Amino acid sequence: MSALLEVKDLVTAYGKIEALKGVSLEVREGSITCLLGPNGAGKTTLMMTIAGILKPRSGSIRFSGREIARQPPHAIVGAGVALVPENRLVFPGMSVLENLHAGAYARRDDEIEADIGRLFERFPRLRERAEQDAGTLSGGEQQMLAVARALMSRPKLLLMDEPSLGLAPLVVDEIFRTIADLHRDGTTIFLVEQNAHMALRVAHHFYLIEQGRVTFSGDPGSLAEDEVIRRAYLGSARR
Amino acid sequence: MLADLLQNTFDGLAAGASYALVALGFTLIFGVLRRANLSYGPAIMLGCYAAAAVSAQRPGLGLAVLALIAIVVSVLAGAYVERLCFAPHRRGSGIAAMAASFALWMQLEELAVLLLPRHVVAFPALYGDDPIAFAGLAIRVESLVALGTAGAVCALLAWVLYRTRFGISVRAVIASPLAAEIAGIRTGRIFFLVFALASAIGGLAGFLVAATDAQLTPMMGMWFTLKGLVAMMLGGLGSLPGAVLGALALGLVEAHSQWFLGPQLRDFVVYLLLFCLLAAAPKWMRTHSAS
Amino acid sequence: MDAYALGLLTNVGLLGFLALSAYLMLLAGEMSFGQQAFFGVGAYAGGMLTAMAGWPLPLAAVAAMAAGALAALAVALPTLRLRGLYFAMATLAAAEMARIGFELLQWQVDRGGEQVGPDGTQGFRGIRWVFESGLAPEAWAALVWLLLAAVLALAALAERSRLGAMLRAVGEDPGLAAALGLDVDRFKLGVIAAAGALAALGGVLFAHHNTYIEPRNFDIMLGVHSLAYALIGGLGTAFGPLVGVLLDVGLLEGTRVFHGYRMIAFGGLVALLLVLRPRGLLDEAAVRWLGRRFS
Repeated sequence: MSALLEVKDLVTAYGKIEALKGVSLEVREGSITCLLGPNGAGKTTLMMTIAGILKPRSGSIRFSGREIARQPPHAIVGAGVALVPENRLVFPGMSVLENLHAGAYARRDDEIEADIGRLFERFPRLRERAEQDAGTLSGGEQQMLAVARALMSRPKLLLMDEPSLGLAPLVVDEIFRTIADLHRDGTTIFLVEQNAHMALRVAHHFYLIEQGRVTFSGDPGSLAEDEVIRRAYLGSARR
Repeated sequence: MLADLLQNTFDGLAAGASYALVALGFTLIFGVLRRANLSYGPAIMLGCYAAAAVSAQRPGLGLAVLALIAIVVSVLAGAYVERLCFAPHRRGSGIAAMAASFALWMQLEELAVLLLPRHVVAFPALYGDDPIAFAGLAIRVESLVALGTAGAVCALLAWVLYRTRFGISVRAVIASPLAAEIAGIRTGRIFFLVFALASAIGGLAGFLVAATDAQLTPMMGMWFTLKGLVAMMLGGLGSLPGAVLGALALGLVEAHSQWFLGPQLRDFVVYLLLFCLLAAAPKWMRTHSAS
Repeated sequence: MDAYALGLLTNVGLLGFLALSAYLMLLAGEMSFGQQAFFGVGAYAGGMLTAMAGWPLPLAAVAAMAAGALAALAVALPTLRLRGLYFAMATLAAAEMARIGFELLQWQVDRGGEQVGPDGTQGFRGIRWVFESGLAPEAWAALVWLLLAAVLALAALAERSRLGAMLRAVGEDPGLAAALGLDVDRFKLGVIAAAGALAALGGVLFAHHNTYIEPRNFDIMLGVHSLAYALIGGLGTAFGPLVGVLLDVGLLEGTRVFHGYRMIAFGGLVALLLVLRPRGLLDEAAVRWLGRRFS
């Protein structure tokens, strides 16, 4: 498998504070790759930088061999990278259907309606609530909607930032089933998770990030799970 | 007495219809940018001055052409304001953007005065004849035009916002600029287009007011900005239907208080109402979404 | 120095008080569209006390400042919870009410066979304390600038002290300031009262400089101008607002280079300046740089 996404020496800063201090990693085509790490390690910053919302200070991000660092977000979405943001960020005050249409903003083809139909088959709950205000959905439904909205751009790579955050265990199971389904259908997935136990069950490869640096990379099983979990929650610095 | 009350109500609603157009433009801009554009009124005024200047050169031109000139020049002025005051200040505090929009207000006002230096400038009247008498009321044709235009613009705007691709992306930006950017919506382009749309609505409102009064003054810029801001606030900052209701309420309060208390106290009553609403800060003054 | 230049210089000083007042509000994190009202309260109160009641100017100025502070508190108390545009609009509404109040104010007394006092929209003429006390224009200009210098010196001292740090903390992160044990509301009210008094002091001097005031002097244009002065000059130091006034009144009006196009030049200049420096010419970074350079 070749690398679909290659991040090299990426530095992103908020003013004088560097949140990413030279991150390098890669996501192979057709894989589920997971990024684990404690709060404040820079996980969301990395996702936002790949998606083009934050501009890196230095380093490169290559997608399918093409440099995408410093490109505007819509160009990155157009290239085939979609982000499911932390806390879902659906559009309140707009119906489920309108949320999906907003996700297809960059597209100019005539298969949008057909795609919506397919997504409704994947997420039947969304079909039931198609005309409902997205702000009134439950947390799990909003997460499904955020995933569906991202899929509307037909991404090759799906970035998911903490999809299980704040959801009930049963709903978390559903989210991870969806991730496995999407992967089976050919989408490459780069996942940020706090729930290391669940993440290691679906991931092919994982990275540990602590204080803005990648400190470990390997396959599930290359490091004892309790060690991964300990470092993902607490960071190795507090050993 | 009852006839007076009805007459004032009708006149108030007609004035409110013009305010509604201005408040809609203000709210659209505030909705997507979360920033107040103080230059909104002056851009409208410049549009009207351009129409008046053309009309002075070629007196035979039809009102539709003048309306078009007012709209086009308002849009151009609005686009200039967006590029210089709002595009550079997308991140960071809104204070700099607002101060910059005030600076351009000064420019637009002086431009208008250079274009037509007299203090009061004549504008072709929309309708020259007497009001129509109907059920004891004196109905001005201009009022009917204002009400009809405002209704048509509201319907058209609702259609654009709820039924078109562009409208859905505008509402997405209003709901959450960050989420819209993540979803691949070109927010910078939406900001610009919303500015143009709001300025076009404003230019139409400006034309209606100018053609109803049959005159222009440089004070018109401030007048539009103040009326638009007040109506927007009265309707709950950021809500489009609220802006229309706020504008109609403003028109009604003005018409009735002018009748009972006179013009000075009319403005006093409006500001007192606004101050009390803000101080009491009921929940509906705190809506931020435009849907 | 000719009379024109002297008048201009005095005007810069007078507007300096108002710009400083807007600056103080901005530092506390509040954008006010209404400082011109307290400038007006000071002008009317001071003018009435000297011209109608026959008080000496210094005493009238102190009373006018107290009136300005009280008026500012009266506006701020019910609106302290408001933020951003909500607060700006509340202050705008209050200021317009005050201006209409001046328009309605009709109260004249007989002073040596002449009716003196506010006459509604006709304005208030005959505020002649400066002329009657025999002050030369030069001496009057010097007095205005001495007062401004004193205020600036006080402000500069305060900015270096704990007070200045507290003020910026309240403006930038009120939640954090409260967590550090500061009574943010009371502190803010204090700042607002001080800003009101400062504007009123400018107003008293303005009334006595011109001998004639009218309600229109204190409209929203004046308020937004003072806000713009504070923003152009910069939020890094109390000298910033004065730089803003100098740029507009001093450079553009004084040199008459852009005669007839002054506002076009001023407006474009300010908008471009704010693109390059969103917190003004003398922002915090510039002030630090200057500080290192000259110490």
